[in-house]
Amino acid sequence: MSLDFIAVQLLNGLSFAALLFFLASGFTLIFGLMRIVNLAHGAFYLVGGYVALTTVAATGNFWLGLLAGPLAMAVTGLVTERVLLRPIRGRELPEVLLTVGIAFVFADMALEFWGGDPRTIQPPEFLRGGMDLGFVTYPRYRVFVMLGALLVGAALFLLHSRTRYGAIVRAGVDDREMIGALGIDIDRVFAGIFVFGSVLAGLAGVIGGGLLSLLPGADTEILLYSLAVVIIGGLGSLPGAVIGSLIVGLADAFGRALAPELSYFTLFAPMALILVLRPRGLLGSK
Amino acid sequence: MSRAHMFGFTVLAVAVAVGVVVPYAFGSYLVSIVTLALIYSLYAMSIDLMGGYGGLVTLGQGGILATGSYGVAYVAARLGGGFGQQLLWGVLATVLISAVFAVMAMRTSQVYFLMVTLAQGMIVWGFVTRSTRLGAENGLRGIARPPAFSAYWKYYYLCLAIVVICGLLMALITRSPLGLSMRALKDSESRLHMLGYNLAATKFYVFMLSGFFAGVAGMLLAYYTKFVSPSNAAFAISGRGVLMAILGGIGTLFGPVIGAFIIVLTENILSLYIARWTTVLGLIFILTIMFAPDGLVGAGRSAFARWRGRRGDAGGTGGRSDLLEARHGAGPLDERSAVRSDPESGSRSGPLEGETTT
Repeated sequence: MSLDFIAVQLLNGLSFAALLFFLASGFTLIFGLMRIVNLAHGAFYLVGGYVALTTVAATGNFWLGLLAGPLAMAVTGLVTERVLLRPIRGRELPEVLLTVGIAFVFADMALEFWGGDPRTIQPPEFLRGGMDLGFVTYPRYRVFVMLGALLVGAALFLLHSRTRYGAIVRAGVDDREMIGALGIDIDRVFAGIFVFGSVLAGLAGVIGGGLLSLLPGADTEILLYSLAVVIIGGLGSLPGAVIGSLIVGLADAFGRALAPELSYFTLFAPMALILVLRPRGLLGSK
Repeated sequence: MSRAHMFGFTVLAVAVAVGVVVPYAFGSYLVSIVTLALIYSLYAMSIDLMGGYGGLVTLGQGGILATGSYGVAYVAARLGGGFGQQLLWGVLATVLISAVFAVMAMRTSQVYFLMVTLAQGMIVWGFVTRSTRLGAENGLRGIARPPAFSAYWKYYYLCLAIVVICGLLMALITRSPLGLSMRALKDSESRLHMLGYNLAATKFYVFMLSGFFAGVAGMLLAYYTKFVSPSNAAFAISGRGVLMAILGGIGTLFGPVIGAFIIVLTENILSLYIARWTTVLGLIFILTIMFAPDGLVGAGRSAFARWRGRRGDAGGTGGRSDLLEARHGAGPLDERSAVRSDPESGSRSGPLEGETTT
């Protein structure tokens, strides 16, 4: 095992972890506040990616796609929360199962509109090809994804810990009835966080469309990875999403390279271990 | 014998009588569809055993179903073993996987349980998709039914017998001491824990039993289609099973049978006319959750109860969907749901029923 090999796998793992962070942070934020496990998150990812794909194909502009995907998911998230989830608010299992229904419909509609062939989103000119990192040459796009995740991650943490919105969300996680009593419209906060999480899923879809490929089944596969991240990191915890993404991303990259037949085992083993030792995840509450 | 028992046995007797007549009344195509519906009934009942009675809703049962199928298929297609060996491997594989998954899931509850089982189911899918020994994406062919049951109608009767026996066994389990602690698990985990019960062990046993029945369904399915592929383990199969259970009425054991028949029959009829059957399935899912969370049996019961002047004697045993009423949070909050499930309200149910009865 050469040093180059390790460096490349490390970078592969980190860039996949970056993608997972986009997904898992939205997933975990929604759960943290609303206690909803949104199993349509993978479908939002896939459809967000497809919308961007169509936009990029029509306009030739990657950045418009990067805007269109999350925007489409913002609308989807808003409608889902207002029309479907609100009537059954507060009942945990019906909420989760409802999102399963949504996932079915979205996956099937995506197959109808975009077909069954794997598709990829073409990154802009200056992000194609490789770049010299000093010790190894690595695809520019993947470097861009890692930097993007760092930026978004930092923004999320600042938003969460330094702003009024973050304070409302944190208070809501601790005691929802209390922040209602303080005169904050909890319905709007819920809608806001659901839309925000959906936007992150859409964003992940656009990024994933350039990193991996978009095809039927990619929605459930990425959902599985996100579940592994939050099970390991702890559901509802933003730092947990970071740690979980890193563990899953790196384990997956090295697993794929060293034992391709067993690649799912690298996902399964850490998850099983965590569940037996710490059922609520590394940084999970309670 | 109580009136509830009488009612249950009457329904069962009528269902079995109808089941026996089916091959005489219909052609081979319809009989084989009913066979499939029977197999899915067993599968949906196994989900109900854990979800409806134990409050542990699984989204990974498809993985266990597929394990049973693959156990049979691997021996038949790769090892060339006889039927005894095929059945043995089918059961062994199921029990082994169920045990590993049960250990992983037994310390979780509610949505965590749901998430863990979902991940487990998808890992089975990922494994069979990649494993070249199991045929990877092409799946395994070369499964034959035992000669005595190779004709479509003979296999139908075999499935009918096995499903009825398994259904009765599950009904017995729900009435056993284990079944009672299972129900207590659903009502209030913390209370059961305070009474000195081992929560994890109870969940482990329930998971194993449910997994066993799902595995039997998977083995029947392998002989039915004579072919297994990764789509047997797909997330859609797990989701479909839960939908069948909820649509029919969770916590009733007979409801999932109705749900399975509705889904299998509509799928076979509708997919002749529309290509997007999964969308329809998803919509049924959403509508059921929003408007009939108690399922058809539950809706029927509350209609019956209303008709009888709300005496609460709707012939049900533990059919209320406390499961779908479960409030947020685990631990101390459990008490809230325990308090809320007052015996007065008979078969109180979803958002709409609640409004119309009061």
